[in-house]
Amino acid sequence: MCPLSAQNTPVLIIGGGVAGLTAALELDRRGLPSLLVDKGPRLGGQARGFCCKALVSCARCGACRVGDLLEQVARRPGIQVLTQALPVAAQRQGPGWEVTLIPQPAPEGSAPALAPALAMERPLAQRLVVQAGAVILAVGHQVFDPARKSRLGHGRVPGVISAGQLEQALAQGGLPGQARRIAFIQCVGSRDQVLGRLYCSRVCCGFALRLARLARHLAPESAVTFFHMDVQDYGQAWRAELAEMRADLRFIRAIPGQVRRGQEGPVVAYAGEGGQPQEEEFDLVVLATGLEPPTAAPAFNEMFGLQPGPEGFLAPGAGVLVAGTAAGPRSIAESIEHAALAAAQAGLHLAAGQPAPRGEVAHA
Amino acid sequence: MPRPALCWLQAPGLEGLDPQELARAAGLELDRGGVLEAAVVNIPEAQAPADLRLRLLGRPVQWLDLAAEVGGGQPQHRLARAAASLARAAGRASLGTLAPVYTPQANQRVLVAGQGLGALEAARQAALLGHPVLLALPGDDPASPAVGEDPAQVARLAASLPAGIEFSPASRLDNLTGAGGSFQAWLDTPQGQSRQRFGAVLLTPAGGWETEPSPPGLDPSLARPLMDWESQPLSSQPGWRQVAILVGVSRPASAQAFGRALKAALALQGQPRLQVTLLFREALVAVEQGERLYRQARSAGVLMARLAQGDPRVAGEGRTLIWQDQVLGEELELTPDLVLLSQEISAPWPTFLQNEVLWPPRQRLLPEHARLDGGRTARSGFYILGALRGTAPGGERLAEAAAAAQDLHELLGGGATPLPAVRNLICARCLTCVRVCPHGVPEHQDDHIQPAPAACLACGICAAECPAEAIAPPGWSTAELLEGLKQGLARAPKPALVLFACGQSVMPALASLSRAGRPWPAGLLVQPLNCAGRVGLELILRALSLGAEGVLVAGCHDGMCRSLTGNLRARLATGQAASTLDELGLGADAVGFLHMASNQPQTLARTIEDMYGRLGRPGQAGQGE
Repeated sequence: MCPLSAQNTPVLIIGGGVAGLTAALELDRRGLPSLLVDKGPRLGGQARGFCCKALVSCARCGACRVGDLLEQVARRPGIQVLTQALPVAAQRQGPGWEVTLIPQPAPEGSAPALAPALAMERPLAQRLVVQAGAVILAVGHQVFDPARKSRLGHGRVPGVISAGQLEQALAQGGLPGQARRIAFIQCVGSRDQVLGRLYCSRVCCGFALRLARLARHLAPESAVTFFHMDVQDYGQAWRAELAEMRADLRFIRAIPGQVRRGQEGPVVAYAGEGGQPQEEEFDLVVLATGLEPPTAAPAFNEMFGLQPGPEGFLAPGAGVLVAGTAAGPRSIAESIEHAALAAAQAGLHLAAGQPAPRGEVAHA
Repeated sequence: MPRPALCWLQAPGLEGLDPQELARAAGLELDRGGVLEAAVVNIPEAQAPADLRLRLLGRPVQWLDLAAEVGGGQPQHRLARAAASLARAAGRASLGTLAPVYTPQANQRVLVAGQGLGALEAARQAALLGHPVLLALPGDDPASPAVGEDPAQVARLAASLPAGIEFSPASRLDNLTGAGGSFQAWLDTPQGQSRQRFGAVLLTPAGGWETEPSPPGLDPSLARPLMDWESQPLSSQPGWRQVAILVGVSRPASAQAFGRALKAALALQGQPRLQVTLLFREALVAVEQGERLYRQARSAGVLMARLAQGDPRVAGEGRTLIWQDQVLGEELELTPDLVLLSQEISAPWPTFLQNEVLWPPRQRLLPEHARLDGGRTARSGFYILGALRGTAPGGERLAEAAAAAQDLHELLGGGATPLPAVRNLICARCLTCVRVCPHGVPEHQDDHIQPAPAACLACGICAAECPAEAIAPPGWSTAELLEGLKQGLARAPKPALVLFACGQSVMPALASLSRAGRPWPAGLLVQPLNCAGRVGLELILRALSLGAEGVLVAGCHDGMCRSLTGNLRARLATGQAASTLDELGLGADAVGFLHMASNQPQTLARTIEDMYGRLGRPGQAGQGE
């Protein structure tokens, strides 16, 4: 419970996912207290539900970092946490901002049976006005709703799930059902002219292939087919991993046009060699859904007077910094780096009382 | 207990003192060159001759700087002071008290070797944080940019450098040993090679352009590196009709290189009567604006030739490229007037980093893995920035350098980790600890093992490996661990399973299980460790001999261990224990090893259940602490 109605803080961080947690820790390292707020009931963000993708070797997915970050944040007295707190209004005040937070109702349904990480539940009790020297928007991203591409059968054809659903199943213990023939379909909601999504979500090739490898490991008799446009590059370590995956999984360069109900499982229709239409039945079809701008992006643009960022994501403004996937698709590791940079810039902004130039650490 | 012997060595300042008389007064035997049980020596250890140190190996010894303690004055006063000092030392020696822990100060100097944004920003930030900085530049001008950087931005930064930075022009870092707080660096300068000490070292070489190999047999007059071409105005020669750009054809390319190739293709396609063909295998668009640029080039008329498996062939006197096209499924050919080869920013890996003495080896510093921790490497106090790391020129490099400076400042100022106590008295100087420490902490200096001040993570690998048990990480010495296990096993219900738990991955998972209120077998005895690498064969077998029915060792996944090889050492020790038990006919099932991450509590719970299943009787369910 939080009885306060007005509060001062050097930095207000909106969003308690990987980026927000990192920003709070980095500010604390520099001796700057912060107030970390999240509209949801607990911290950790979307990456909280991700599974470990290692076999024997670490796959460097970064999912375990969420728990580590939460443990560290909980130990730092300089970081104040408020959950179920939604920013509704902001007013410029000197070099900083005055932000109004209102309490959000507790969500229905209970937390997962086995919490992988600290919960950090500190619900906001009443309307609160926060005066902050700088604001960091770490509001994350929205996962593309695969039902919007209705031809791919999500929610309609049994056996078609999103990559997020597979992550959750694996995090809780194992592959759903008796899946032996597994297909991954890439770029669902990314690189799509019809949807107006003219960008690559950057992380899907990496997480989908690692999930595919993990599925093969958990069910060695399974066969995995990987439908894709292009396989993106994530540096040298990845190239060695990819060579192994290419030997183990079946790669088909085609994005299926339709997934329909078959005899035993979903049937995938795609253009095969030379453009010939082909159909193949699977037990499980996983849709690698892309990253979209946060739904609240227009609201934040209006609240803080920001120019819309690239592809509808958020861009920094006067006294406002953006961290993590709120600024564009990026991996957990990249979000950590990005948030550390935002924290450094916020520190400089507080020192100088003026905004840091975009994309560059200011030289005071 | 025999009386400690007095080993008397003549030294300046001890004139007029009779060793026999002093030995009698202090209750000591005078050493006559035989076997010694315990000894008091009247000079510091560093000044003692090697043969005496050898004779005293493994014995409780008190080294005194008696000359300093006696001082000057009247002969009878000096005698009394000497006798008192020796008597105190004799008391300590007969109790077997060991030498005090060496507590060094972290060296505050910072070496930045390299040039460009990263080097300047790192030097600037470190100097602002109060560290004396030596900036070792490969050239003469601090304002020289690294490859791919904006010269104006670098010049602005060079002009804003604070005082307190020392420059060493035309210098190169040639070798490096040590660890955070105590590095030794060999610098090649025009004045010759110099060896200097630093607390932290940052390496950020300028890098260079690495060109994609030209297809074998291609007329060399056709091929040009892409960036050479770009630095000149992008205009075609009269009569040119066809330009081919190769990116990621004969080896994988990065998204940045793909983007540069697309920009060049767009610029050339805009020239009259010129057709550009881009040859590639994967469209690498995972950068901001990448997909838009790709579509823009395609709609501008750039031909996108996606190669199937197999390299392109060259025919027609080295002027024609022939490739199997993946989209059309047939063989295509092109006779270009110019072939542009894409380029990547790269930096040669310094030879001293290939040296096994200085961890980490190459594969631990690949860009993606390293990204998780800013500029840090597996060796604390040593940072790799910029081109060598794969960081893109611009703001990212500044951020990386600032983060590294902040990190080294905390490292050198902190000293939060208590250092392992090295008992130099019983140390055999076998240098096993120097060899096995993944962090480079123990240094062999003046015939002592001295831990470097800021680098120790208390993983305990040294303690697991030391044959003389002369090294004890605070709280994790073998004696302390065994005592704890003995007490725990005396209380634990049967069957008792000892879990040696890594603090990075296993303890957080156990905390999750506890938070979920998950019951675990009452006979489970958790021994938390900083790193699974603390577990050796001996510890596993001793746990079994103290009454444990089973031992489970759990550590991080391969490649995630903060101490690099701690998890692998533990796995090896578990394997050794299993085969030892098997040979003795005791069954290898009593020991197990698990690789896991902190977000895998389910895996841990399942493995504990499996272990109990193997031990025969199911454990009685109890509640986790």
